[in-house]
Amino acid sequence: MKSFPEEETGTEGDIVAIDVLIAEDEPSILEALDFILRRAGWSIGSVTDGEAVVEAVRRQRPRMLLLDVMLPKRSGFEVLKQIRATQDLKDLPVLVLTAKGQAQDRRIAEELRADAFVTKPYANAEVVSTVRRLLGDQVAKGG
Amino acid sequence: MRAPIGIRISSRRKVLAISQAELARRAGISASYLNLIEANKRQVGGTLLRRIAKELDIDVGELTGESEHRLIHELEEAFADPVLAGVGLEAGAARALVATNPLLASAFVRLYRAYTAATANADAYAYRLRTDPLLSQLLHQVLSGITAVRSSAEILEEVADLGEDERRRFTGSIGRETRGLTAVARNLIGQFETASEGGRSALPRRELDDLIFANDNYFQGLEDAAGAIRAEIEAVGPFGEATLIDLLASRHDVTVHKGRIDGDEAGAYPAQYRYARETRTLWFQNTTTLATRQFQLTRLYCELSNPLAIASAIESPILTSPAARRLAQRALSSYFAGAVVFTYDDFLAAAEALRYDIDALRERYSASYEQVAHRLVTLRRPRAQGVPFGFLRSDPAGRLTKHFPLPGLLLPSTGHACPLWAIYGAFRSPESIMRQVVCFSDGSRYLFIARAITKRVAGFADQSLPVSVMLACDVLHADRTVYGAGLDLADRRADVPVGPACRLCTRAECTSRQEEALAPVSA
Repeated sequence: MKSFPEEETGTEGDIVAIDVLIAEDEPSILEALDFILRRAGWSIGSVTDGEAVVEAVRRQRPRMLLLDVMLPKRSGFEVLKQIRATQDLKDLPVLVLTAKGQAQDRRIAEELRADAFVTKPYANAEVVSTVRRLLGDQVAKGG
Repeated sequence: MRAPIGIRISSRRKVLAISQAELARRAGISASYLNLIEANKRQVGGTLLRRIAKELDIDVGELTGESEHRLIHELEEAFADPVLAGVGLEAGAARALVATNPLLASAFVRLYRAYTAATANADAYAYRLRTDPLLSQLLHQVLSGITAVRSSAEILEEVADLGEDERRRFTGSIGRETRGLTAVARNLIGQFETASEGGRSALPRRELDDLIFANDNYFQGLEDAAGAIRAEIEAVGPFGEATLIDLLASRHDVTVHKGRIDGDEAGAYPAQYRYARETRTLWFQNTTTLATRQFQLTRLYCELSNPLAIASAIESPILTSPAARRLAQRALSSYFAGAVVFTYDDFLAAAEALRYDIDALRERYSASYEQVAHRLVTLRRPRAQGVPFGFLRSDPAGRLTKHFPLPGLLLPSTGHACPLWAIYGAFRSPESIMRQVVCFSDGSRYLFIARAITKRVAGFADQSLPVSVMLACDVLHADRTVYGAGLDLADRRADVPVGPACRLCTRAECTSRQEEALAPVSA
């Protein structure tokens, strides 16, 4: 598991860091994800297309990214590749949402060093526990 | 190994409990003559054989053993399928089954055909599922919808302290998503319905083969109609492009156009010719050969002048689907045109005189290699037959795209033939004849004559797909052809040892083998 650099999780004046940034274009899925993750106690931000992700990551400083593969404008893979290639973002923990039966998607995500996968359709508990796992040591460290 | 005709006639007669004298009377011959035939002391064929077959209520092919031979071939192909590997069928099992239980053998072949068609269908579906952009889009929508519904439903079920607003929000989500899913499901079902209609492509080809086989690749009705049409054309002018264009215009209001098409019809897909039914325009690419133009003009004239001739030729219970009938319609309209371009008696006489020299025949009839080769195969009129030829066509990927069987010669009906065959060698030197004397492992020998032909292109981006066309004839007849000239046909030392296709071949030592032989292989 990758750890997010300390200085970036710290407080930098007026920037309000969030716990999880969700990149998902289906409104109903996004609504449900937002609800269950908030309910689990995390602060949430969201974007609905691939182009907005990197900018939102820089602005909202999430502790992790929940990234859908099939996003409009730029695919989740392109976004992940860019994040991994960007010096100050490359260690951001990323949970990729892939579709069932798309083994190829999973292989690509692995090559691009995704930290975890959840396959659609998922059980809410699965998403919550995976997010908890990715944030886990952060929670412990950050207190 | 095959039972002679006489024995078949006599055993069939006994099955029907008809006396020799009675059958002789019905067939219009003397009882003593029938006796000689049944004892295999007299040859029988042509009209008499057909009359006897009719009286015995049986196909001529069954009496001559051709149906049986074909059945054995198909059965051998079936037995060699990987699905039967390890069953322990011995070499000769197909022959034995056909001899002892022909009905069961037919049933097996029919099942095998259905099985191969089903397998091809399954492959097509799997491929479609993997690659079809619309299906993958629909699948994505289904998964998204289910994800949303499941996630929302879990919230409704598991979160005890849900507010009224939230409850309404997630219930609304589920309603919206399930309505969306309903539409997707309908769309998906529609997709599969179209897919299953288009997927039955394996059988029509076989059915057309059967139709051609049942008629011994000779259609008397079309030959008669062709004779009439030829006379009709020649009453107006000499047979050829100019007269055909005149006749199409005056009798059928068809305009013939050469060169570029402007406007909507100028498709990106180049073709040698095209007929637009709505505007009654036949279009040819500028570079089309005279042979192609003459043939296609003839075909169109035949189709428009006597559609009934083709319709009645394909009126057969053998063709069970619209796709098979369409295929047969196309094949027989080519036959029809061929019969007009190369009138039977004239062509047979010319072929014999020119010793089946295909290029000399092309010259004489302004025809293409494939047209001539095709017509040679149809010289099967009873009592006026030419050298019996089998015909094969292959695409550059090696796949066989057309075939007319030759009794005795096992031509694979699908897939690839033996890589050693001249049909493939011909691709290495396009537009020149490659001849080859081959020997099969059962000792039968054939002369193969192949040529790779390319079509003319209309631009750099226009792909010219070469095809290789091969004629095969028994070495016994090779000396009647120009292609036997200079060959010492009695000397077997230069024969190329071949097989039908690797899978069906018993030459275990062959260094050109590309695929393991599967059962049945003789020990």
